[in-house]
Amino acid sequence: MSNMPTPRQQSLRTVLFWAVPAALLFLPLATNAYTQFIVNGMLISVLVTLGFSLVIGNLGQLAFANTAFFGIGAYASAILSAKLGIPWILTVPLAGAFGALGGFLASVAALRGIRSYYLAIITLAFGELMRWAYLHAKPLTGGTDGMPMPRETMFGISLSDDTLKFYIFLAVTVLLVKGTLNLMRSRFGRAVMAVRENEIATASLAIPTARVILATFAWSGLVVGCAGALFARHVGHVFPESFGMLQLIASFAMVLVGGLGSVLGAVLGAVLLTALPEYLRAFPGMEELFFGLIVAAVLVAMPRGLASLLRRLSPVFTERYYREGA
Amino acid sequence: MRRIASLLAALAVSAAPALAQDAAWETEGLTDDAITIGVMGPFSGNAASYSKALIGMMAYYDKINDEGGVHGRKLVAVQEDTACDSAKGLAAAKKLISQDKVFMLQGNSCSGVALALRPTIEESGVPWIVAHAVSDSISDPLAKNIFHGVPTGGANGRAMAAFVLSKPDTKNVAIIEHSNDWAHSYSNPARAYLEEHGVTPSLELTMERGQTDATAQVLKLRQEKPDFIIAALYEAETAIFLRDLKKYGMGDIPVMGTAGTDLENTLKRTGDFDTVKNYYVIHSYVDNLDGPKMAPWGEMIHKYYPDEELSTFSFVSIGSAEALVAALEAAGPDLTRSKLMAALEEVRDFDTGILSDPITWTPEDHQGVKGSAVAGFVDGSPTVLKAWGQSY
Amino acid sequence: MLMQLTLGGLSQGMIYALVALSLTVVYRSTTVVNFGHGDFVMAGAFLSYVLVVLAGIAFLPAAALAMIAMFALGVLFNRGLIRPVKGGPHIGLALMCIAAGYLLRGIARMVWGREVLPMPPAFDMEPIFIGNLVITGDAVFIIGTVLVLLLVFFGLLALTDLGKMVQAVYQSPRGARLIGLNVERFDDFAWGVGAALGALGGILVAPVSLLHPDLGASFLIKGFAAMTLGGFGSLGGAVLGGVLLGIAEQYAGAYIDSALIEITAYLVIVLVLFIRPQGLFGRKAVVKV
Repeated sequence: MSNMPTPRQQSLRTVLFWAVPAALLFLPLATNAYTQFIVNGMLISVLVTLGFSLVIGNLGQLAFANTAFFGIGAYASAILSAKLGIPWILTVPLAGAFGALGGFLASVAALRGIRSYYLAIITLAFGELMRWAYLHAKPLTGGTDGMPMPRETMFGISLSDDTLKFYIFLAVTVLLVKGTLNLMRSRFGRAVMAVRENEIATASLAIPTARVILATFAWSGLVVGCAGALFARHVGHVFPESFGMLQLIASFAMVLVGGLGSVLGAVLGAVLLTALPEYLRAFPGMEELFFGLIVAAVLVAMPRGLASLLRRLSPVFTERYYREGA
Repeated sequence: MRRIASLLAALAVSAAPALAQDAAWETEGLTDDAITIGVMGPFSGNAASYSKALIGMMAYYDKINDEGGVHGRKLVAVQEDTACDSAKGLAAAKKLISQDKVFMLQGNSCSGVALALRPTIEESGVPWIVAHAVSDSISDPLAKNIFHGVPTGGANGRAMAAFVLSKPDTKNVAIIEHSNDWAHSYSNPARAYLEEHGVTPSLELTMERGQTDATAQVLKLRQEKPDFIIAALYEAETAIFLRDLKKYGMGDIPVMGTAGTDLENTLKRTGDFDTVKNYYVIHSYVDNLDGPKMAPWGEMIHKYYPDEELSTFSFVSIGSAEALVAALEAAGPDLTRSKLMAALEEVRDFDTGILSDPITWTPEDHQGVKGSAVAGFVDGSPTVLKAWGQSY
Repeated sequence: MLMQLTLGGLSQGMIYALVALSLTVVYRSTTVVNFGHGDFVMAGAFLSYVLVVLAGIAFLPAAALAMIAMFALGVLFNRGLIRPVKGGPHIGLALMCIAAGYLLRGIARMVWGREVLPMPPAFDMEPIFIGNLVITGDAVFIIGTVLVLLLVFFGLLALTDLGKMVQAVYQSPRGARLIGLNVERFDDFAWGVGAALGALGGILVAPVSLLHPDLGASFLIKGFAAMTLGGFGSLGGAVLGGVLLGIAEQYAGAYIDSALIEITAYLVIVLVLFIRPQGLFGRKAVVKV
């Protein structure tokens, strides 16, 4: 525990936390439509990775329903805005609520004692069943043609504008990242990690483990569901194919490269692995090889991901989510 | 706080796309000796086999360049991968338009991606010739700068249904398809055409990609005994379906397939002539793939891409590339984007010598190719057909 | 129609059984579920393609060679990539398997990504007609091969010393180590056998379908569903689960809706885990907390 930040370092951490989004406010001055689009995609990946990391890293549950939450959020947003005419920005929290509901469903499986590999398999099946539902619930979801997002303006600017989207995405991302950080630093966050380390011992401390598991899944679903709503607007068209295994594997790699169970890691992994494929554009088809290699290498050489490197650099980056060396 | 808000507003306004389509915009991506053309396609991912379609087009650019280009300008393709994924495709389009600043776009194979791209490209005003994707909604409703250079799903689907009904006494038609946008883009217009002519499909079946067995579907067909089957299936599943059909003694029922398959490869796959002898496919070309009228095109592709294995996709985009070159010639040496689009809208009954139907673009209709021929085995050899029992 | 569906389902189910069995072999001795197994199946199919079509070797020797090569690959994978992360959490192992699968798929995509490859038919036989029932050469070949293999496999396990040792390791790895068995080598062996059996699944479907790099993904899920149905970790259960799944798909497709074939496996997973988590033969899958 010698690596804990001092109070001074803690305030430095707060400054650092706010400095990043503040600096990002000026980013659109340096981007074109393409680079801005990629940056917007990064913000979405940050949320997806964060939500995933909470369940598999902090809570230690092998649940693969992440892509399902993402799809639920995106379709909720598309259906609410296209069919019910709700302004898109209001569908973001609503999509979060639907995502949380998905998280609740996944936690029911976990609470019924379906754990470890069984949980992995049943959540995989859940994700694929959802995708099948998008394909076949044609009147609601548009089936294979997907759903175009309605044209809309905010502050007199079209929502197809990548700069406007950037500021909205940034606000949502900062809000949810900050919320998650606070949550994980609280009593609840410690209970989450206690469940991961030893569920029975945690229960014997009169901590309601079932409620902790349920709430973590729901919060994860909320974060990823909101990301889904952002994604719907990001692409402007929601297709079932966007929520398949490929998306799942990419989020996996992001969680792992950044560092399991670390908020900072989720951000780093998402930013890095959204940017890199763009640099690999010149070599189409190499992406799978590349993701495979990078995940294998990180697992062997750096099991706590990039976040652990930063932690070694300075205690400012310490998050007490893992016993070091564990 | 208010300061930040006003700063944000200022930033947003300054970064909003320049709407003024001024002189500089008109000639973006253009030099005295080159026209840059953004070519998007699924060069990676699980639909990478469709990228063959873009190879034929790029070989045609090379051919034109070897002949001196158009008004002294070479056609320079800038390739971008979409991986057949909407988010990746959107990134590719934005890169081509706002970073590489290409003069125009030609290509794209996946209908889903093309649908997701449409609003962005329409807003940018950059001319786009859709060279492979078939979904009708890409070019309908009309967008000023979007031109469809292949028969659309609607045109193909109607051609399929028309061929099916051209067989005398066809009353009972069954449909088997994948549940994806590609299959629906054929089957929906075919269904509509059938209904218009008083035929309701008697049986609707699905067979998913990757299925290696069609027993259940075939047994249902055996009970229904249709006169004709419409099959919107990919190559692999088509072979499996036909094989199972023959296995269960229904090899005599004719099957109508899409442009996603061809007779030669289907025969190669099933390895048995009896299995495919009653298989018909949409064939958008003037001749068999190995026929004399197609041979020069195959040679052209092999001249520039010696290792390319030819398939039915290889030729599909060449027709629209020819129309593009004709329009560029007509637009004259002082090329602008507006002039190009005006010239494209002047293309009438343009015989490409490769597509079975001509290309016509008018200011009211940018879906250039309105029909398609069909190919089937006649006396043991693949033959291009206009209607049942009627050669092209 | 019922008989015909059952036969079709049986021949599909045999492949699923093989995939589920190979997953179980690895799981029982190493407690690792190979999430990249689908791509091992794919690799087997592509290897046999290379040997048959490019090298011109006859189907049977090519299949044997491909299985040997996949055995070696399984061993290598265990030594090179699984052992270094063995002590870590489940999630690391699951991810490593996924990464390995991705590597295999990436290689296949790099070489053959733009072509869909046909494999020459392996077993050409005129179909046999018994009344309304049609028995095809493919079905006879697949069912026959898998049956022979299963007999050999379970025979070795039950009757030989080697089989007794394997069972000992399954019962208790620590106990086996105490009595002097080299458990590390057993892990290698299990990974090798798992990879080879999975590859055989791919080799058998190759002539009846077409080869593409994404071939394996669906087999992984079918394998999981078969394991869950039969009871996770039970060898016999995996086989029976596979066969039942194959038949269930055909029935669901023919009697309800052909769109259901695709999701039968997922439905089986969800229903079994909620209603009877131990499957037909397995130990209880749920954890009591």
